[in-house]
Amino acid sequence: MLEGEKGDAIAKLMQLIVKIGEVNKAEKLIPIASAQIAGVSYFTVGDSIFSFFDLLRKDEVKVSVPSWLNPAGMDRNKWKVMKIDEKFAKKQFEIIQNYEKMGIETTLSCTPYLIGHQPSYGEHLAWSESSAVIMANGFFGARTNREGAPSSLAAAITGLTADYGLHKKENRTPNVLIDVEAQIQHLSDFSALGYWFGERFHGLIPFFSNIEQVNIDETKMLASAMASVGSVAHFYIQNLTPEAKGINQKDIEEHIVFTEKEKKKVYELYSSIKGEVDLVTIGCPHTSLNDLMLIESYLKKQSLREGVEFWVFSSNKIIQSKAASNTIRNLENQGVKIFADTCMVVTPAVRNNLLNIMTNSAKAAFYLSRDKDINVKLLQLERIMERVTK
Amino acid sequence: MRKLKIRSIVDGRVEGIAIVSPKPISFFGEIDPKSGVVLDSENPLYGETIANKIFVFPEGRGSTVGSYVIYGLVKNHVSPLALVANNAETIVIAGAILAEIPLVDQTKEDVTAIIKNGDIIQIDTEKQLLKIKEKRK
Repeated sequence: MLEGEKGDAIAKLMQLIVKIGEVNKAEKLIPIASAQIAGVSYFTVGDSIFSFFDLLRKDEVKVSVPSWLNPAGMDRNKWKVMKIDEKFAKKQFEIIQNYEKMGIETTLSCTPYLIGHQPSYGEHLAWSESSAVIMANGFFGARTNREGAPSSLAAAITGLTADYGLHKKENRTPNVLIDVEAQIQHLSDFSALGYWFGERFHGLIPFFSNIEQVNIDETKMLASAMASVGSVAHFYIQNLTPEAKGINQKDIEEHIVFTEKEKKKVYELYSSIKGEVDLVTIGCPHTSLNDLMLIESYLKKQSLREGVEFWVFSSNKIIQSKAASNTIRNLENQGVKIFADTCMVVTPAVRNNLLNIMTNSAKAAFYLSRDKDINVKLLQLERIMERVTK
Repeated sequence: MRKLKIRSIVDGRVEGIAIVSPKPISFFGEIDPKSGVVLDSENPLYGETIANKIFVFPEGRGSTVGSYVIYGLVKNHVSPLALVANNAETIVIAGAILAEIPLVDQTKEDVTAIIKNGDIIQIDTEKQLLKIKEKRK
């Protein structure tokens, strides 16, 4: 492959994996079970990707392992509702079609593990979406580094990745034990805990004690926040993380307590709404059916106030599923807009005059507030609903 | 003339004028793929192009689609002649391999402090050497 007998493009992609391995002192390449590929939203990729697609198309490159895509910059069906312009939509469809021709499933989701692509314990992967990477490692016990857009694509095509970082057991040990003293109850509390850890312990591996009873939706809020803010790629929760059984908490170098004070501080970081709220966005990471049902439960007795946009992001597979059909109908009847294939972080639609935003996701708050014109408030879903219903 | 020992990541032999960023660079968002111009207003190189020069910087940062920007620079005929970093991380490595631009890193010293804008640089990856001829004052 390296010498180019399979074509120029594949030789380059193989070289890319080998070099990244060399730089990281990997001794071998290992086969991967699946790849999850970033570099999809036209908003975050721009035009440069098209010249790269030209190279891949010339050699008719195809993936060799199950592979799926990260979210795009718009809903494939409702992009006009999102006020996306024609030019953007055309480019976005072109990007998706290029990936599709390579044999990549166009899931356009940041939560492949919620739509039938759960990784197995011990499996090696090349995933790129930071929240999916950390869930694959910490929730499922699979092994993946935080791949970039090109390296995940190279791995999908060659079926290989270099054996370094989190692929090796010795690099997966937790280094900080967090005694969670604060009450962690709402999804946004989990998000705040993750944010606090990521900001303080960039790149380290936490072991959370005292939060034993957690479900997958709570875990994805915790994990996604520390992955985005602190590039954290693995974590442990007692009785949840498959590898936690083998860990003696006394062996962890650093011990620290997370109290109500630290929790409150994260919420205070994002409290900058000026006047009325324009937009509520839920679904970072993409909502599960349970998440959707939770929003539905708040809207059973109350309805949305006029003048507030309420956007929920989820995977197309969940929105289209039979199990979700009643919930989706009820939410839409209440004026909630449910979008697939994209999210508030990677679509330009949020920036169209919707500048006072409330969310229950610390990851979304972190990214949205990079835009100087946007004011973000991080709040518990229950509190958000009180503010926007009548 | 000064000589630095380098690590070669993408091989090549080139000579050219140095353009030095003191700040880590996000190729996505901070370099215009159509012109090679530096778009980051907080960078002292703001408004200058890295096209046809040897681009010296501490390390890459930001979005991993930055690799595609490096590839795009070549396709738009505005690529740098070579990349010299203190630490080439994955974004820069992937970009340089796809774009076939010589990439070297890991001299013992900070390249962004030793090399000045306008210095003439020679890179020879076979000999693992980078030579700096200071610009005439």
